Amino acid sequence: MSAYKIQTHEFDMVVVGAGGAGLRATFGLASKGLKTVCITKVFPTRSHTVAAQGGISAALGNMGEDDWRYHYFDTIKGSDWLGDQDAIEYMCKEAPAAIIELEHYGVPFSRTDEGKIYQRPFGGMTTRYGEGPPAERTCAAADRTGHAMLHTLYQQALAHDAQFMIEYFALDLIWDQQGACCGVLALDMAEGTLHLFRGQGTVLATGGYGRAYFSATSAHTCTGDGGGLALRSGLAMQDMEFVQFHPTGIYGAGCLITEGVRGEGGILRNSSGERFMERYAPHYKDLASRDVVSRSMTIEIREGRGVGEHKDHLLLDLTHLGPEVIHEKLPGIAESARIFANVDVSRQPIPVLPTVHYNMGGIPTNYHGEVVQRVGDDPDHVVPGLYAIGEAACVSVHGANRLGSNSLLDLVVFGRSVANRCAQTIKPGAAHRKLADDACDKALANLDRLRNANGGTPTAAIRLNMQRTMQSDAAVFRTSKTLSEGCQKMAEVFASFEDVKVSDRSLVWNSDLIETYELQNLLYNAVATITSAEQRKESRGAHAHEDFPERDDANWQKHTLVKVDEKGKASFEFRPVHMFTLTDDVGVVPPKKRVY
Amino acid sequence: MAEFALPKNSKIQPGKRFPAKPGAKKVREFRVYRWNPDDGANPRIDTYEIDMASCGPMVLDALIKIKNEIDPTLTFRRSCREGICGSCAMNIDGTNTLACTKAIDDCSGSGVPIYPLPHMAVVKDLVPDLTHFYAQYASIKPWLRTQSAPPAKERLQSKQDRARLDGLYECILCACCSTSCPSYWWNGDRYLGPAILLQAYRWIADSRDEDTGERLDQLEDPFRLYRCHTIMNCARTCPKGLNPAKAIAEIKKLMVERRT
Amino acid sequence: MNSPDSLRSPVKNARGLGSARSGVHHFIVQRATAVALLVLAIYLVVLLVSLIGADYAQARATVGHPCNAVMLVAFLLAMFWHGKLGLQVVIEDYVHTPGRALACQLVVVFACALAALASVLAVIRIALGA
Repeated sequence: MSAYKIQTHEFDMVVVGAGGAGLRATFGLASKGLKTVCITKVFPTRSHTVAAQGGISAALGNMGEDDWRYHYFDTIKGSDWLGDQDAIEYMCKEAPAAIIELEHYGVPFSRTDEGKIYQRPFGGMTTRYGEGPPAERTCAAADRTGHAMLHTLYQQALAHDAQFMIEYFALDLIWDQQGACCGVLALDMAEGTLHLFRGQGTVLATGGYGRAYFSATSAHTCTGDGGGLALRSGLAMQDMEFVQFHPTGIYGAGCLITEGVRGEGGILRNSSGERFMERYAPHYKDLASRDVVSRSMTIEIREGRGVGEHKDHLLLDLTHLGPEVIHEKLPGIAESARIFANVDVSRQPIPVLPTVHYNMGGIPTNYHGEVVQRVGDDPDHVVPGLYAIGEAACVSVHGANRLGSNSLLDLVVFGRSVANRCAQTIKPGAAHRKLADDACDKALANLDRLRNANGGTPTAAIRLNMQRTMQSDAAVFRTSKTLSEGCQKMAEVFASFEDVKVSDRSLVWNSDLIETYELQNLLYNAVATITSAEQRKESRGAHAHEDFPERDDANWQKHTLVKVDEKGKASFEFRPVHMFTLTDDVGVVPPKKRVY
Repeated sequence: MAEFALPKNSKIQPGKRFPAKPGAKKVREFRVYRWNPDDGANPRIDTYEIDMASCGPMVLDALIKIKNEIDPTLTFRRSCREGICGSCAMNIDGTNTLACTKAIDDCSGSGVPIYPLPHMAVVKDLVPDLTHFYAQYASIKPWLRTQSAPPAKERLQSKQDRARLDGLYECILCACCSTSCPSYWWNGDRYLGPAILLQAYRWIADSRDEDTGERLDQLEDPFRLYRCHTIMNCARTCPKGLNPAKAIAEIKKLMVERRT
Repeated sequence: MNSPDSLRSPVKNARGLGSARSGVHHFIVQRATAVALLVLAIYLVVLLVSLIGADYAQARATVGHPCNAVMLVAFLLAMFWHGKLGLQVVIEDYVHTPGRALACQLVVVFACALAALASVLAVIRIALGA
């Protein structure tokens, strides 16, 4: 493999990904005196955090009664008791300080009359442990909160003189012989040169893999690269069967319409104009959690109450909100609806459909962001040198279903947490672990194969097969039949990657090669997802199994760990759910029936 | 001196033509700028015929269709496909805009011309080099700068003061405006351009920022600021409907205000 | 790709020589002279129209009238000043070779100053009956 020339760069910390979590970690680490580099395949403000709309949750209580313990309870209930309660406690308790910090960084939050941060209701966010009225907890910058946040975080990174390697694509993690992660091999897309970024710690902040599905709110770049890197390194992923369908993706285009629309009073209607969510969630109605709303919508469509020529979607009505509320609070979705659905939201409802939105599963970590694996009897064995945060990780604060506006919170809380942890555990400038001479060989072999791949099936064709399979067989509702068929089809699709064809032989900005790498990452994630779903014989959160419609705490209140080998074969282990807390500030919430 | 003719190696040659499959009913032509530094050839225009019956409504849909089904070597940036990330800024049908929000039906003529953002160094095909643009962004120190210690809670801001940020903070840094500005074409090395000036004003206008004077000092320069000749291309082309020219005018107004 | 700039950091190139911390004066004077010219140009047009059909002696007497002479001198100063400022911008826009730009600027300054002096002197001579 000596044909490839590799430039080595030594840092204390290497962050892969420059979305919300990656940026927060990058400047957090830099400000702690650790020499940090952030590798990103897109310019930071292009990362998909930018598309988050509704807001970021924290029990500030600016608009009414609230308490972080209510937030803690809601998140556990939202997770359908699959979330780790210690991590959830940490996140919800840290939330108010995290939001204040963001405000001090300059995020242009919308304001209340007193000049405080504006907060809106969101699905599953309640008061008094699910007994009170909906909580106004989600801090918003109109309906462009992610955009406002991501730009602010990038600005902070600039303020901290953080170092970026922009349009560098991470090819593979590099390991020493003791199983410690030593850095990342990356490709400079502009020049086609190879760079080995050595780090005492490597943080994966690569986001989700929504593009494993045909229709997703996710960006084209949401290809689960971190998960792919981890799985190819033989690590197990956690809870991959839990894929969130956002209730309101624009029909056809798949673009996101924020839950904040319903938070501001928007209503879902079926073909007869009925507010059908009253039947499914009598108390919180349209503001039930996302899995509940998506399932209800799917049932409505299935039972023939959909709208449109094919009766295959529903309507989100905000005509009663009035132009002023729309202009001040929801200008962005008004624009999206006009462009992508040709709808004037002040006069017409938006055609919507549940659309793949978020991956609760990811690389398992503890609440410090350290990657953990099951090793023998130890379910919490820390993998040396490797960290994961954001959507790429599974902490697990979202369990089987994430509450809207908890993901932006997840990004900043755990981005900061990993920086704090590394400040304690990593010594700036310490010597790097020794690498074997052949440490990069596997990565280079993969590169060599893909760069010269001259099979019969173009990348796009394999990708389309994968997306269609996942869309039809790992959908909102799943059955034993669809899942086992799906597993088989995905195995075939995975195998077809052997026959992939890359047409672009250039080294400069070879997006054909990059897309092929992304496809490889997606395939690993997709196999992990559908096989995990197939083996979980219960219904919990976003995993709605029609042959096992009930939650089964006795057998299945546990995290799935899945590994995928080079042939695409999955194997499983389990980790217990953390039913304990970090402090006595709050008690463990035992499982109970989940109604909204 | 300003250059008024293309250098020899930039002259565009006729390219390949990829006809639609037989039987295609609603065919639309896309004429796409192609250049690969690896092959040493001059840029060319390739023509792709697409059957609109199996293509999405946006120009980005057509580009992706070309890349997926006809020519995987076609190179362009794209990400969110909903007009918020700013990756797919390019010159379509004579206007700088986002491919993901530009409807094919809104393009005039039978062939849709697609070029990279004007007057930028091209990396490959539709990918321009934005390094200098980003460095200019960093050079204005675009973050909240304060002298007073942060309060325990949020810095308070009235609704009116917050409303002054509307039309400013929404910028997605796509560079459509700056690369549509003739002044930026001639003097982009020193003129900050509409996008960066809009961002500069975003912080000047923020009631929480306490460094207004220093920000104005840094902008008061014949080139950084005063190359703006109110040509207004920026406001016309902004795919987010923002008005950088107005922000620049506000900066100029403040410059006068602090002298009078 | 191999220009010296490409080996400098992008921020070094973006920050360049720093802010000149001037420009607003140019901006103000350009607009002030523009406003003055608007008024003075109307005055000049009216004056010229009133001279239609007049002979040389009448024209000379009109120009030599103290009121008119003052206004004419004002017009000439504003025009050449404004012109100098405008041409300065054109050179800044289009001439990028440092030495050549400076030379062009000097030519503009000298030409405008000379033209202004010469034309003002002409009015004064008429006004003072030389």
